[in-house]
Amino acid sequence: MKKVLFICFLGILSFFNCEDIIQVELDTAEPRLVVDGTLAWIKGTSGNLQEIRLTLTAPFFDTIIPPATGATVTVTDEDNNVFNFTEKDSTGKYRNQSFRPTLNGTYTLNINYNNEAYIATETLIPVVPIESVEERPNVGFAGDETEIRAFYTDPKGVKNYYLFEFINPVTGVRNNELYDDEFTDGNRTFGIYFDDDFKTGDSLIIANEGISKQFHEYVNVLLQQINIDDGDPFQTQPAIVRGNCINTTNPDNFALGYFRASEVSVFIHVFE
Amino acid sequence: MVNILKFSLFFLCVSLSVVNAQQRFTLSGTIIEESSNETLIGVSIVFPEIKTGTTTNEYGFYSITLPKGVYKIEISYLGFSTITETITLSQNISKNFSLKDSLESLDEIIITKSSEKANIRSTQMSINKLSSAAIKEIPILLGEPDIIKAITLLPGVSNAGEASSGFNVRGGAVDQNLILLDEATLYNSSHLFGLFSIFNTDAIKDIKLYKGGIPARYGGRVASVLDIYQKEGNSKKFHGSGGIGLVTSRLLFEGPLKKNVSSFLISGRSSYAHLFLPLFDVSNKAYFYDINTKLSYRINDENNIYLSGYFGRDVFSVNNTFENIYGNSVLNFRWNHLFSDKLFSNLSMIYSDYTFGLNLDFIEFEWTSGIQSLNIKYDFKHYTSDKIKLQYGLNSYYYKFTPGDIKPNTETSGINEMLLTNKYALENAIYIDTEHKVTEKLALSYGLRVSSFFRLGQDEFNIYENDQPVIWNNTFKVYEKAEPIDNKSSERTDILEKFFNLEPRAALSYRFNENNSIKLSYNRMSQYLHLLSNTSSPTPLDIWAPSGKYIKPQLLDQYAAGYFINFSADTYSIELESFYKTIKNRIDYVDGADLIANNYIERAILNGRARAYGLEFLFRKNKGRFKGWIAYTLSKSEQQTEGRTPDEFGINNGSWYYTPYDKTHDVSVTTSFKLSNSWKINTNFLFQTGQPVTFPNSQYLFNGIVIPNYSGRNEDRLPSYHRLDLAINYTPKTHKNQSFRSSWDFGIYNVYNRRNASSIDFNRNRGTGRNEAKRLSIFGIVPSISYNFKF
Repeated sequence: MKKVLFICFLGILSFFNCEDIIQVELDTAEPRLVVDGTLAWIKGTSGNLQEIRLTLTAPFFDTIIPPATGATVTVTDEDNNVFNFTEKDSTGKYRNQSFRPTLNGTYTLNINYNNEAYIATETLIPVVPIESVEERPNVGFAGDETEIRAFYTDPKGVKNYYLFEFINPVTGVRNNELYDDEFTDGNRTFGIYFDDDFKTGDSLIIANEGISKQFHEYVNVLLQQINIDDGDPFQTQPAIVRGNCINTTNPDNFALGYFRASEVSVFIHVFE
Repeated sequence: MVNILKFSLFFLCVSLSVVNAQQRFTLSGTIIEESSNETLIGVSIVFPEIKTGTTTNEYGFYSITLPKGVYKIEISYLGFSTITETITLSQNISKNFSLKDSLESLDEIIITKSSEKANIRSTQMSINKLSSAAIKEIPILLGEPDIIKAITLLPGVSNAGEASSGFNVRGGAVDQNLILLDEATLYNSSHLFGLFSIFNTDAIKDIKLYKGGIPARYGGRVASVLDIYQKEGNSKKFHGSGGIGLVTSRLLFEGPLKKNVSSFLISGRSSYAHLFLPLFDVSNKAYFYDINTKLSYRINDENNIYLSGYFGRDVFSVNNTFENIYGNSVLNFRWNHLFSDKLFSNLSMIYSDYTFGLNLDFIEFEWTSGIQSLNIKYDFKHYTSDKIKLQYGLNSYYYKFTPGDIKPNTETSGINEMLLTNKYALENAIYIDTEHKVTEKLALSYGLRVSSFFRLGQDEFNIYENDQPVIWNNTFKVYEKAEPIDNKSSERTDILEKFFNLEPRAALSYRFNENNSIKLSYNRMSQYLHLLSNTSSPTPLDIWAPSGKYIKPQLLDQYAAGYFINFSADTYSIELESFYKTIKNRIDYVDGADLIANNYIERAILNGRARAYGLEFLFRKNKGRFKGWIAYTLSKSEQQTEGRTPDEFGINNGSWYYTPYDKTHDVSVTTSFKLSNSWKINTNFLFQTGQPVTFPNSQYLFNGIVIPNYSGRNEDRLPSYHRLDLAINYTPKTHKNQSFRSSWDFGIYNVYNRRNASSIDFNRNRGTGRNEAKRLSIFGIVPSISYNFKF
């Protein structure tokens, strides 16, 4: 939340500054395994279908991000039930169709890729529902944006961490926003999103996902690396962001990405 | 007070011990500007026959004790006609001199006109002085004269980027500069997100920047001291001056309250309200203003009092959803007292405050943060003989840190009020400095500052297991925040943590002849305050944090050596200096540190160290129609934060990395050419190695987002920065008796419209779906015009 605010700061400079695209020669690091491992249990569904995606890092200006194919992927729950995730046609997408999610259950991900073993553990974090969504037109720096507020009530007395995703179903463009209840414990509050590029009748998928503190930290650092257009004057120095997937064969060759498990509340908003 | 007494007694003994067989007498007094009674700082009083002399101090006072005799004296000051007189010293003489502006005395006989030159005699090295007049000549962005932009043209001084008003001295950080305005410490020096500095040059009299060999009377910051004095106000006649520019309008009034006894000065500056926001359909505002005031009262020859104030604010609001107000307020009372013709004292009582307020209607909260300090200084200048001058005194600060108060600003707000814990501290120092002329050629200065810092009691001071607020997660190889195991509230009178530091200072100058000398210096300094900033340039949300249990004071050791020469009858001068410095306990932040509204800031900080070294070269042409300087700095500035145990990675794997303000090469060429009495052309050219930055070495996909992946910190660089600026100054001819004078300044910033990169962002273009490198350049070619007047 704090970060959203300060984008406004640099708005003032935009009247002077100019941006252009330039050519920059960049070094390229050796490819590394990336785990995009989300066990998402959408409220009101069985949660049986789960997908874990494995890719490799690519040179920065490449348009294709190569999949990591031929890996063995399993998820084990607390009762030692093993769910095998099988790859669909060398896409790096590994699926299981009979997964059984449990709130606050602990899951362990095991990956064997290129003869190296990776392991990660995470708890499935519950979430409160999105109660309502409000639309407020004519806001923002130039007054031409629309603000979307997705309301929820934070459970009092417990630390909660949220990942809000605002997804345009047509373009697939996603906005990730992180929240915690440091200043809002027990209150009815909202996730916020600005859009200036929609037509009446367009829809917006809003997802509120319960996440662990550790994952909140991870995404927090990750989002700072993305350096959205204006830049954030409070951003940290860019650095490699380490997740929770450990290479037990060769610890220096750690995997990027994260294995997490979330309950998800989805709300589909139609722009007025 | 006990300390002062002890000191005084000690120095009394010292002075008695240098009693000479020959009878000695003291010549002392104040040197003022004839037209206004404004005291003049740094005027040289030279006794050419015996090759000795002195200079006036910050309050225009001088004192020199010599054997009985008849002496010729020369009193000279840049831009003023030199006075030559013969003095018969057969008793103590108190004598004030008035100097005439050399421009205003054109028709009269000018004996000589003093010019700028390298200071050969003094032990003080690594110092730059700029007069307010010199600053106004430098072509500058949007025609707005700016002290900080001007000093960055000097060797060893740079700044992080165009939109950052802070400055970096000899590879030091912005928060390591002590900025004093009329002796009062300022905590933020910029307007409009760093586009302009807060100093109104009209109200400024004198500026000195100490980069090294810093005298013991200064302390509390480790990189530099920028010592600025405001004008006192004309005590002879009412005057006004002002200017109209593209960005601001300025107006200054000064005059006597009682002729020759007391004076006032008030000056205001304001930018235009809708300055950068040509969006008149929505109610956006961005403006700043500042007010400088001063009252001076000359009680008698022994006592002067001054009351001065500064008040400045920036106001920035967007469409009623976002409002941000911040600025400094300073109030300062000073009393100059002459205990004798050899002992000058100044007592200052200072209140300084920096506040930052934010109102966010769209998420329904308001925020305030700031720092306040009360400061008492008592400084003595003791002119014991023509060989030895002592300066001693004490300095005490009481600080209150308000890291933030968050409040809901609507009834429906989902925000709970939260006050981040206020912190309190006391900083004390006593010092003594000796300037010792050992022989005609050799001068020494040596001194000691003893500083202490007491972190005072506060509410809810966090206690962590093993005193480690940051813990190392050896499984994931990341730093994590520790959860406090307890918190302690204590009385304000309790001392939570204390630090003492001895800060020796030493300097030597050896004069080969009248025109060249070498100088050496060493200084150790400590800094107890830390500015929390994750970015390279200071943002208006400057949060200062005190040293304490988890953040240790920064300690600097700096060595410098230099060679100084004036040649061709002082027409040219060269100053060559090298420096090496190390700083212990420079803080750095763990990856992903969140510094805003963070009540547990210690959980984001690791202690590291820094070092910098370099070579500075300044060549100046001081006289003639064509004047100017070439400054070149070759330097390196690095930082390192190692892990606390062999398991830990530290920051950047514990390796040294460039600080964001490292500049390998930094060149500036500043020239001024007088075409006629009415027309003047000024230019400056800058070339700097690009700022160290971190570029990605790969990319990956996570949760539907493309993430740039980075490697070592600051291993890449932005493209080199260079630009040329041009200014033409036109002063219409005026009759001798005409009191109204005016001038025009026409300027062009960045003449050849170079798109200097202020940053390069690597991200995915959502339209094309491709990754790209986007260059942000702030100022292209910017023309300006301003009109200035005086009456």
